Amino acid sequence: MGLNLAERASVENAVAACMSVLTTGSKPRRFNSNQLAGLYSWHRSCTFIVNGAKRQINASRCVDKALYIAMTGAKHNMRGQTSHANNLANSNTDGFKADFAQARSMPVYYGAGMPTRAYALAELGGTNFTSGTLNQTGRDLDIAIHGEGFIAVQGRDGQEAYTRAGSFEIDSQGILRTAGGLMVLGNGGPITVPPAQKVEFGEDGTINVHAQGQTPSALVQVDRIKLVKPDMSTVSKGPDGLFHVLSNPAGGILPADASVKVIGGSLENSNVNAVQELTGLLTLARQYEMHVKMMATVEKDSESAARLLQLNA
Amino acid sequence: MHAALYVSKTGLSAQDKQLSTIANNLANASTVGFKRDRAVFEDLLYQIQRQPGAQTTQETQLPSGLQLGVGARVVGTQKQFTEGSLQITEQSLDVAVDGRGFLPIQQADGTTAYTRNGQLHLNREGQIVTADGLLLQPTIAVPNNANTVTIGTDGTVTAKVVGEPEPQAIGNIQLVDFVNPAGLQAIGSNLFVQTGSSGEPIQGTPGENGLGQLKQGMLENSNVNIVEEMVNMITTQRAYEMNSKVVSTADQMLQYITQNL
Repeated sequence: MGLNLAERASVENAVAACMSVLTTGSKPRRFNSNQLAGLYSWHRSCTFIVNGAKRQINASRCVDKALYIAMTGAKHNMRGQTSHANNLANSNTDGFKADFAQARSMPVYYGAGMPTRAYALAELGGTNFTSGTLNQTGRDLDIAIHGEGFIAVQGRDGQEAYTRAGSFEIDSQGILRTAGGLMVLGNGGPITVPPAQKVEFGEDGTINVHAQGQTPSALVQVDRIKLVKPDMSTVSKGPDGLFHVLSNPAGGILPADASVKVIGGSLENSNVNAVQELTGLLTLARQYEMHVKMMATVEKDSESAARLLQLNA
Repeated sequence: MHAALYVSKTGLSAQDKQLSTIANNLANASTVGFKRDRAVFEDLLYQIQRQPGAQTTQETQLPSGLQLGVGARVVGTQKQFTEGSLQITEQSLDVAVDGRGFLPIQQADGTTAYTRNGQLHLNREGQIVTADGLLLQPTIAVPNNANTVTIGTDGTVTAKVVGEPEPQAIGNIQLVDFVNPAGLQAIGSNLFVQTGSSGEPIQGTPGENGLGQLKQGMLENSNVNIVEEMVNMITTQRAYEMNSKVVSTADQMLQYITQNL
């Protein structure tokens, strides 16, 4: 192992730098020449990073980079799968909209040599806003939105948010709430429904109440559910599972839109396509296996390289 | 470990609860006055792994971030107070509530519970009781020499006593309503009790102020729709299978990496 002192120090520095990525607070270690030979082949390219030397790197020797690239691939496959798993877990959640997971390649090219360092980066490409199937429930307090549009509710943070899940309840104070307990917003804030024998939702979200003890002809119009139709490119799913509007001049609050149609006595099922999610999940599982295979190959290459160097020493 | 494992676990447990709800509904498909339950799901929180719009350099930013959902949960069960069909039984002590309202029942501990099950009986003192022997409130006693008992649509109970030409009024059945009947707590035996979310009981005469009329000689069937429950059972089972497929896939992946590295 014909390393001079400076090279030896740079290998040790490089090892320390690599180790500190994995275990924080590790101190530089000293190695014997056999260990160094193995480490040199493993951390060869790291020495260039540490030294800042602009030496030509033979791409075939950058085994460690191949390992990390395969690792990001496998890691982001797992993240993508988590998104598919979440869609499948919500395949029976009313008003749920499936998320798209996609991967982007993030090139980290520097120095000379082959431009091979492109890391994987899983991300959510957005939400699938297609309508779910309609499920007729016959319950007075269920509504589904026909086509585009959202129901305005007050989120847990007190801000206006939007949902497609129209399974409502009337609480003991007469306030109209979603099944999850969020207040449904009307033209002027929360909606209070008087004691009613029957509640009917009009096509435009108008709430008609057949008050207790009155004849059916005496229908009272109480309020109107605030229905909005935002530009879909500005809508995104928040961490609370509700939809929020980004970059809107009115601070995320949309005006009511009269063109949104609701269907009473129905609920919108989840729009998750189970077959698509399951195949996506399995595709990612196979990709993951390929990444693992890659890592195993890199390990084998590295072992062979170390063996060769040991024979030469 | 693989996050998808925990996400699909929430999916599995949600489908499991849904199936229990369906099973209970089906088991009560012919229970008089039973109101079916519906499990309501919601998606759990989303964890932001990478903020959308984060800067990648001074000039560029990520077009979309990564926000991973952590699964589904059952937010609760909703009692569906739609009316069941009425069945004619010709029994004089069977009453159905045709519309809103509950029959108030005195429980063994003295507190009041509410029911839609109008299968009434007499106890040995001649008082009107439920099939479980709990007293109807207010207590109505039928004279032991009564020939027939008639319950009017407004709850008036009259008895025709042997040897007397005119039937005599012996009491009134009252009905109780709530602002939010879905907020009542089901305690079994067809009984419900008041909770904070149901509101205070509002007592009234049957047929007045929006309360339903009483129908003698009829019973209200369970409002469980067998076909709907069966369809729900199919979707629940398939969703369960798919979630368990996620678990086995994630397991295989972890097995693969431990065996190959």
